[in-house]
Amino acid sequence: MKHWFKALDKILRGEATRLQELQHGPIDIPVIGLSTLIALLAIFYGACMGCFAIIAGWGTGSAVGYQQTLASMAKVPMLFFLTLLVTFPSLYVFNALVGSRLNMAAVLRLMLATLAVMLALLASFGPIVAFFAISTTSHPFMQLLNTLVFSIAGILGMVFLLRTMQRLTAAQIFLEASAPTVPPPPLPVQTVASVENTSAVPAPPALPPHLGALDRIQYRVNNSQVVTIFRIWAMVFALIGAQMSWVLRPFIGRPGEAFVFFSPRTSNFFQAIFHITFQLLSRH
Amino acid sequence: MPNLLILAAADDVLRDTAPQAAPTAKPRRDWSLRQLLLILIIFGFLYGAVMGCYGGVAGDRWRQVLYSALKVPMLLLVTFLLGLPSFRVLNALFGLSGDFRQALGALIATQAGLTIVLASLAPFTALWYASFTDYRIALLFNAGMFAIASFTGQWQLRRRYKSLITRNPRHRALLRLWLAIYIFVAIQMAWVLRPFLGNPDLPVSFFRKDCLGNAYVEVATIVWQTIHKAVGI
Repeated sequence: MKHWFKALDKILRGEATRLQELQHGPIDIPVIGLSTLIALLAIFYGACMGCFAIIAGWGTGSAVGYQQTLASMAKVPMLFFLTLLVTFPSLYVFNALVGSRLNMAAVLRLMLATLAVMLALLASFGPIVAFFAISTTSHPFMQLLNTLVFSIAGILGMVFLLRTMQRLTAAQIFLEASAPTVPPPPLPVQTVASVENTSAVPAPPALPPHLGALDRIQYRVNNSQVVTIFRIWAMVFALIGAQMSWVLRPFIGRPGEAFVFFSPRTSNFFQAIFHITFQLLSRH
Repeated sequence: MPNLLILAAADDVLRDTAPQAAPTAKPRRDWSLRQLLLILIIFGFLYGAVMGCYGGVAGDRWRQVLYSALKVPMLLLVTFLLGLPSFRVLNALFGLSGDFRQALGALIATQAGLTIVLASLAPFTALWYASFTDYRIALLFNAGMFAIASFTGQWQLRRRYKSLITRNPRHRALLRLWLAIYIFVAIQMAWVLRPFLGNPDLPVSFFRKDCLGNAYVEVATIVWQTIHKAVGI
């Protein structure tokens, strides 16, 4: 398990997505281990969310709090994996349509790394959310706080996705440009215009020593259609994620109400946020 | 003797961020994590004890002194621990992992320094209690002492972070993020851990009966209601 955390840390630091690493093929991550870790982190965050329901039901003798917590622990991983499931097919198809160099395995690994980043962020905010869940009685506040935390995790995850996609594509271009019988030359670390490099493709740029996972590379990816597809996909992922969270509700559980696994289908995510904000301010 | 060692360490923590007087100035010692934590607990305990003396120490009130003494280090430590995981992950994401140990050391040392300053202000609080009796104003006075200690904390933190920021300007952004997270949690933590002074009209207890509440919701409600009244809805 320690190995999985190390892999996660590698991704967060940007070491797994260095151009030199990507040159050797798709992102080097333990797929099964990382998927398990992602699920565990999601379950942990679900437990933090569920603290609210437990405290709300404290002393009343009802088991609603615990039921809600277990439900949340199941729903948070479901939310991420289902959103990925819904959006992945179209992403791959459009990707292939515009001639992206990324194959199915590469795209899947990219998605996994992105999920890992999102859930690492989410889980790291878990203790803070749990603290507020334990000490707050305001249901609208908890809903907004959780929405904020999910948004931060989602946005940074998408930035990671876009940057890594650019690096993957750049690494692929470099890989293809070199002669097939000759192993690709190692990427230079210093800014040296390699004279021995007879390939038509310019050597990828030097990387500053502390290039993080979210940093832009100088190398311009020629296929801007791929970039556009991923940008649109990032927005679609966000929208689908938001609506999926609405479909899967309740995550937190209104105090005093009976336990339900799914709430009846009404309204949508964006209407709800507006309504909750209003509720919070007028203290209903 | 461990007591003198702690005092010596405390002195070092304070002088560490002062501008170097001469090139031959003594290089500061490296404190251990244990020493810094001990400083935080001891000096926080001291100020908390003085804080809790508001209602005197007769009868049941000595318990308030004990509770407040426990709560000040709790407030600082628990808030710090809650914010730590997100600080770690954000540091990694922004490519600052290599400097994490140093950044963390700067944060912990500043927390310790803050409690030392706070404890040094305790005599003022004691004198205030001896001079005036109003509960609300005593609360404000203590808030003022915490504010002064926080400002010096900010000042120390900025100096300790200077070398990090020159190495990589991203540290400045992360410092701001840390402060935002810390303050966000600390306000709620202070609300939950009430009472610190202990209203003399109410019985002594560790938590207030309505301790489950939210500082932000309370303030937002007050602001909203004020706006409502002002606009005349």
